[in-house]
Amino acid sequence: MSTGSVDPAVSKRSKGFLIKIWHAINIPLAAVVLALLIGAIILLVSGANPIQAYVALFRGAFGSMTALGRTLEKATPLVFSGLAVAFAFKAGLFNIGAQGQLLFGAMIAAAIGFGIDGLPSIIHVPLALLGGALAGALYGAIPGALKVYTGAHEVITTIMLNYIAINITDYLASGPLKDTSSGNVLARTPEIMASAKIPSIANIPLGFVLAILMSILIWWILSRTTLGFDIRTVGLNPNAARYAGIKVAFTIILTMVLSGALAGMGGAVETQGVVGRFQPGFNIGLGFDGITIALLGKTSPLGVIPAAILIGAMKAGASQMQFDAGVAKEIVDVIQALMLFFVAADVIVRKVFRIRAAGEEEKITLSTGWGQQ
Amino acid sequence: MSKKLFFLLSLVVLTAMLLASCGGGGEADCAQDDVFCVGLVTDVGEVDDKSFNQSAWEGVQQAEKDLGAVVNYVETKDAKDYAANIALFADKKYDVIVTVGFLMADATIEAAGKNPNIQFIGVDQWNDGSVANVTGLLFPEDKAGFLAGALAAMMSKTGTVAAVLGTDLVPPVVAFKEGYEAGAKYINPGINLISTYHPGGADVAFTDPEWGATTAKQAIDNGADVVFGAGGKTGNGAIIEVASHAGLLCIGVDSDQWETVPEAHPCLISSAMKLITPGVFDLVKLAKEGSKPAGLYFGATGLASFHDFESKVPQEVKDKLAEIDAGLQDGSVSTGYAP
Amino acid sequence: MMADTYSSLPNWKYFLRRYGVLTGLGLVVLMTTLYFYFRDPQITEAVLASTVRYSTPLVLGALCGLLGERAGVINIGIEGQMLMSAFVGFLVTAWTKSLWLGVVGGVLTGALMGLLLAFMSVTLKLDQIIGGTVINIIAIGLTGYFYQVGLAIDGKLKPIPLGPLANLPLVGKVFFDNPPITYAAIVLVFVVQYVLFYTKWGLRTRAVGEHPRAADTVGVDVYFMRYANVVLGGAIAGLAGAFLTLEAVGSFERVMTNGRGFIALAVMLFGKYTPLGAWGAALFFGLTSAIQTQVQFAGVDIPHQFIGMIPYVMTILVLAGFVGRTRVPAADGAPYEKE
Repeated sequence: MSTGSVDPAVSKRSKGFLIKIWHAINIPLAAVVLALLIGAIILLVSGANPIQAYVALFRGAFGSMTALGRTLEKATPLVFSGLAVAFAFKAGLFNIGAQGQLLFGAMIAAAIGFGIDGLPSIIHVPLALLGGALAGALYGAIPGALKVYTGAHEVITTIMLNYIAINITDYLASGPLKDTSSGNVLARTPEIMASAKIPSIANIPLGFVLAILMSILIWWILSRTTLGFDIRTVGLNPNAARYAGIKVAFTIILTMVLSGALAGMGGAVETQGVVGRFQPGFNIGLGFDGITIALLGKTSPLGVIPAAILIGAMKAGASQMQFDAGVAKEIVDVIQALMLFFVAADVIVRKVFRIRAAGEEEKITLSTGWGQQ
Repeated sequence: MSKKLFFLLSLVVLTAMLLASCGGGGEADCAQDDVFCVGLVTDVGEVDDKSFNQSAWEGVQQAEKDLGAVVNYVETKDAKDYAANIALFADKKYDVIVTVGFLMADATIEAAGKNPNIQFIGVDQWNDGSVANVTGLLFPEDKAGFLAGALAAMMSKTGTVAAVLGTDLVPPVVAFKEGYEAGAKYINPGINLISTYHPGGADVAFTDPEWGATTAKQAIDNGADVVFGAGGKTGNGAIIEVASHAGLLCIGVDSDQWETVPEAHPCLISSAMKLITPGVFDLVKLAKEGSKPAGLYFGATGLASFHDFESKVPQEVKDKLAEIDAGLQDGSVSTGYAP
Repeated sequence: MMADTYSSLPNWKYFLRRYGVLTGLGLVVLMTTLYFYFRDPQITEAVLASTVRYSTPLVLGALCGLLGERAGVINIGIEGQMLMSAFVGFLVTAWTKSLWLGVVGGVLTGALMGLLLAFMSVTLKLDQIIGGTVINIIAIGLTGYFYQVGLAIDGKLKPIPLGPLANLPLVGKVFFDNPPITYAAIVLVFVVQYVLFYTKWGLRTRAVGEHPRAADTVGVDVYFMRYANVVLGGAIAGLAGAFLTLEAVGSFERVMTNGRGFIALAVMLFGKYTPLGAWGAALFFGLTSAIQTQVQFAGVDIPHQFIGMIPYVMTILVLAGFVGRTRVPAADGAPYEKE
């Protein structure tokens, strides 16, 4: 670790850890500030009061324990889908298909959740979770296998598989698995049993705790295991990996399976912790947000946690903002895009805030994964 | 220096946010008896969607004008936020909360249970009447669809009429379609009916005007000369497409689309309306007077005025429509639609 | 790579190896079309006309993508470029009452969005996928935030029949009786194909995408070529946006691109980075969409979700079975550092 740019004001004792943390968060923090400033300008131009809007946004996200709980609830599936995308990136794969994998995970978890009665929670909850993860894993295996055996590019196949997943789950929810209880006219599955639901404790959704545990697990796999080494080597240079004796084809499929499992588990957590059933249209966008989260988190398994909380907070606070300040919610999208831009364009952020680089910074690169095999 | 500046900036922003978050706004206090507040939560979509959210919001705005109500709205971006968005109004002790769309039925009934002093109006929401402060505002869409279908069949010269629809995941759309087809067959049993739902998921089915337009064109190429567009912006795309072909007719949906989709004037003969705006306003008014019914309240449906086509619709067609309308009201004509 | 392996074969064998599957497919499509045409000319023409119409934004988007990628810049922001251009094109027309100025506005907006992408990926050397994602999200946000209801445009770009060509059986209605942007798309396919493979500009573009270092050594300005191609691509995506609002729909709606930019990406890869291939792929997509609509028109009683899936399943099958590996330009996605 280079210490070439340590601020002399910081005492030598606190170097190391604190500095490391600071260098990890200074750019994103500055990016957030810049994005909010530009967002404020847009709000001003369109005749809204940015202070009022931001205060309301903040209150809606962190203003009370309920608000905080909702922020974490919003962040939970984003951690999972962000992890799924980031994990695949490490092997040079661009998994746009997190959305489809998540949908199947949500659907299967719902089916296990309402289909089996009489289980204790301690079995029912993990069973549905694993079912969801397995569904996502199988759905993720398809583009992996297609890529390895036929050369079909994962970007196209996952885009196509997303559409197929929407169609199949819509069909299941409006046909075979539809809630047939009297009074229901909606296309949706029955509600899952209480024993399959993931509760919140003191407003903290347990699903979020699970998300954090998974992040740590993925971090561990990537940085401390042979499998992680293989994945990263394949991502950096598949040819070198081949010469080094790594089974590239196997690694690619396995990566997609695990990535799909993460997305599928995210869908299951959403079903079991928030929605309580599968309903078309209720999980839209979560998988696509995973791309944003993975990028904001610099594709690090631990980085996706703050990224997901940030975006979750903006989603949770947007209603309060509209309620208090009458500001259209789309401004949140604009601010998100600006954040993403500034996190990536750290050159600009460094210029504005005169932050020096901490030695060799790791640059985010995903697009190497575009076409190499 | 640079880092201090950066620290300072972030600090200022954060403290400003924290400080300001303690202070309350200076708006009206809905908890007071003499302040009448009406809030509206949209279904996924915007209050200016030229469709049912907008119609409901116009009903609330009318309450602002005529009843002196304090009004506000929140748009839903994510279907999982229904409860939280309703809570925004409930926490401020709004007197009436209007929730729009059948998907919000569960969240509305739950919120009503928690807030017995607040009156809830659920547009397009069925309920069993067990929670006293909820009224479901329902519309017999199949009857409006039936009239539209009859009109289409009578005005068609080619014997082919089409419908371009949102998605069958949404019950009102299915009711419009079934009614439309039954109405067309009621006039002409041998009519060639071509109708199609958007093939995508519930998230895109109502926001895909290009698909609507291209599908309408394909229907026209198939020989259709009257097209019924029922599916939010997707349906709007369909009727605007018809407008670009001389001599063809189109029928709008939900509100009188003569007002909301001026681009369709060249073909828009009428619209299969559900009168959401007056329905919402009436219920808000009843709520203010303390006489809003529990359970279900049926709003009116019907055909919009013919506007510029007034002179082009033959008198016998108008008479027949009036006859069918009367038959639908007294039950002698049935649409055959059962949800 | 492929060309190297085959270049030693005699011409006809080379042709068969390389294009055999495609030629076979083409023959099958031709025979099927003729068969259906003689059975029911009206429906066949309707389906094929829809096919061309569906394919227009897709092929334009794909041309945008492949210009960038041939020069070494990945563009996953096609969706956002289209949406933004659709919006600005609509605004310009609403203000000036001129469809043509609107098209110009859309194209210029697309070019500007291309410039932004080029700035991010060539000058700032950002990761290109991030650059594209930024464009996508920002377009959704800005267009949604600034869209105002009440703006309307009068009519849309109308078909221009090309004299006697438009009266030819089958192809007349399908290819020679279209609105201007659809013609432009078809012409652009051939223009881009020619420019990329038969001109100095194209050679330089491909050199920059394959071996920027080598290109630089022989005096090609890598940055300029990348900028130019990405901006040109953006302009073409802008044309696709203008198509959506000014030619296909005649109105703007939030998120009206509905993923067409992503499908365009698939079309580009499917077409193996060649304009002609992309056109074929776009027509294939268009055909499956048109057929699924026609199947619903015919009243075939299978859940429409299954019919809606056909294009996507077919794409995967075709990719897995026939098309095989797509060779990506070697320097695609890699920022270039001058020495």
